[in-house]
Amino acid sequence: MAFNYDKYLRVNKMPTLWCWGCGDGVILKATIRAIEKMGWDMDQVCVVSGIGCSGRFSSYINCNTIHTTHGRTVAYATGVKLANPHVNVIVVAGDGDGLAIGGNHTIHGCRRNIDLNFILINNFIYGLTNSQTSPTTPRGMWTVSQKNGNIDPTFDACKLAIGAGASFVARESMLDPKKLEKILVKGFSHKGFSFFDIMSNCHINLGRKNKMANAMENLAWIDSITTPLKKWEALSEEEQMNVFPTGVLREVEQEEYCDMYAQIQSAAQGKRKAITQNDFAKKI
Amino acid sequence: MSTFKTENPGNQPVWVNTHNCKACDICVSVCPAGVLGMRYDHTSTLGAMISIDHPEACIGCQECELSCPDFAIYVAEKKEYKFAKLSDESKERQVAVVANNYMSLEA
Repeated sequence: MAFNYDKYLRVNKMPTLWCWGCGDGVILKATIRAIEKMGWDMDQVCVVSGIGCSGRFSSYINCNTIHTTHGRTVAYATGVKLANPHVNVIVVAGDGDGLAIGGNHTIHGCRRNIDLNFILINNFIYGLTNSQTSPTTPRGMWTVSQKNGNIDPTFDACKLAIGAGASFVARESMLDPKKLEKILVKGFSHKGFSFFDIMSNCHINLGRKNKMANAMENLAWIDSITTPLKKWEALSEEEQMNVFPTGVLREVEQEEYCDMYAQIQSAAQGKRKAITQNDFAKKI
Repeated sequence: MSTFKTENPGNQPVWVNTHNCKACDICVSVCPAGVLGMRYDHTSTLGAMISIDHPEACIGCQECELSCPDFAIYVAEKKEYKFAKLSDESKERQVAVVANNYMSLEA
């Protein structure tokens, strides 16, 4: 008997619609194993996904799922979480979904520090629509919309999340599923906005035109642009610009939005006075 | 209709659900012991399917199961199967399989 994935999957939807070797499947598997480790009841888990290849995530996992409009994942998830604070909400978005069209929602989810688990599947391209430049596409890559090479600089999603105020920020690639599972468990058990930037491969739509046409070549490229945080800190500033640090980049205790929202509710019901600046440790 | 086979088909270290496998080569490349290889299969989309060539060399590291994006390959738990130790012979075989474009060495 191996690990029983049937319990967590909609088995009649298998095999998945993703391309062969797609990292989304590995991330789905790691998420399932992390949910099992957390011991969550699947009736108390809600997965919210948007549009793109990552949007299929909610079709395969067997719990409460919402397949939402493009980029509005955090908006829907905020509603779910505020109405049902006991539910564990996992948000899945791609790099186009979470950083381009939905970038605004991502920022404000981070700023509010609401207890969501935001999984950003970053494959460096708009894969579903056939290779248009996404915010995370590295410079110099061939894309359909930039046929002479992409000149837009790549987006460091974790820096955005740290700047916006998310209390747990981590980056991992799907190369090491055991590490990925550990970091997901850490983020899931954190109270507050947990932001995961998970690097994934798209050897079909990114790789074929950029000399990494099979999954292994694309994974080797991802390996070459990531390094563990401790090793990254030892690098010179110039070298740091060329690689992304992986691991937990930020983990702090911060006031959580649902807790404060409960106080607003009790103030509205006359059970306590209105909230003032004195209720917060941090004044501005 | 259940497409899953999490049950061990009978004292096996590793087994494959061929219905889900898309032949992406990832499991073959991550195996440290050269247990797996690809064989030609005209019914598969990519024209290949995993073949378990050397089950006796499996060390039970579960790398293939964890790295499989399609829930197609499963490894037995440590308590239900006695796994082998990693030997030089199996390491060499792994290098040879990768050099052979992930195709099985046995024709």
